[in-house]
Amino acid sequence: MLIDPNHLLTELYAISNVPTVIWIDEDDRIVRPNGVAFGTDMFKDFTGVEAGPHMDAVRRWVRGGELPIVADEARRAVGDLSSDEVLARLHFRVAAQARRRGDDVTARRHFALAGELAPNDFTIRRATMPLVGGDPFGQEFFDLYQDWQRAGSPYHGLSASDAT
Amino acid sequence: MPSATIISDVVRTVEATPAEGRLLIAPERLDDAIGWELKPQGLCREDTCVPVRDRAALFQGDDLDLSAVAAVLGRPSVIDAEGGIAALAMDADGRRQALDSLRAPSFGLDDLDGNPHRLEQWRGQKKLLVAFASW
Repeated sequence: MLIDPNHLLTELYAISNVPTVIWIDEDDRIVRPNGVAFGTDMFKDFTGVEAGPHMDAVRRWVRGGELPIVADEARRAVGDLSSDEVLARLHFRVAAQARRRGDDVTARRHFALAGELAPNDFTIRRATMPLVGGDPFGQEFFDLYQDWQRAGSPYHGLSASDAT
Repeated sequence: MPSATIISDVVRTVEATPAEGRLLIAPERLDDAIGWELKPQGLCREDTCVPVRDRAALFQGDDLDLSAVAAVLGRPSVIDAEGGIAALAMDADGRRQALDSLRAPSFGLDDLDGNPHRLEQWRGQKKLLVAFASW
């Protein structure tokens, strides 16, 4: 298990929510880009995503090399980050570093700027909640989720319906 | 001399001076700060050099303005000079090219015990990169 305290992967792989799973082949090529997937059905009733189909698809890939998506589709599946979304990640990193130093004033200012720049990005908005004393499983999360749905459920990557 | 933490693909702490919202770095410290050096042929890292059209624009007095250097490298930046923290994105063109090519971007991260790992160490094997949060 690797730790990504500055959310570098969210920039490198254009990740806007987790959990997300990326399949990378033996030659370090992405053969299935970012997509919603869960290891269990714990949150199935909330997300509507079952773990089984993805796990079965992983087994077919590992055992037989079968891919659920062709290269052209994989290339189109993950929209690049906007310049605001990139800046949001930078503000988040500055905020997280300030918080590690105990500079809560600077941290809160940059967390707020990050959220304004990427209002529908869970790796920014939801990740900020516990770092500023909020509850990532509380009402503010459900408010964020509702706002995200109203905005058309924007997401970088394969959607839950075509994630396998 | 005050210091600043600069977050890019790695995190580095270097001597840097805040000045009117800018972070100023001595040219000889630039390599320590972001892994690039200012040479006669431009900003260079290993075998790669980026030409600098307006060299004077990089400087504030004798020191380099980190945001100006980042701009020449095509890397968006956020500088909190008074807080002594800066964050630099990877270059925007490089990120787009990586997504288009489906080449998995390289990265290095530590595990729970602090041991460093890089994506390349698993070359030759299929990999599931599972990103999740404890929230």
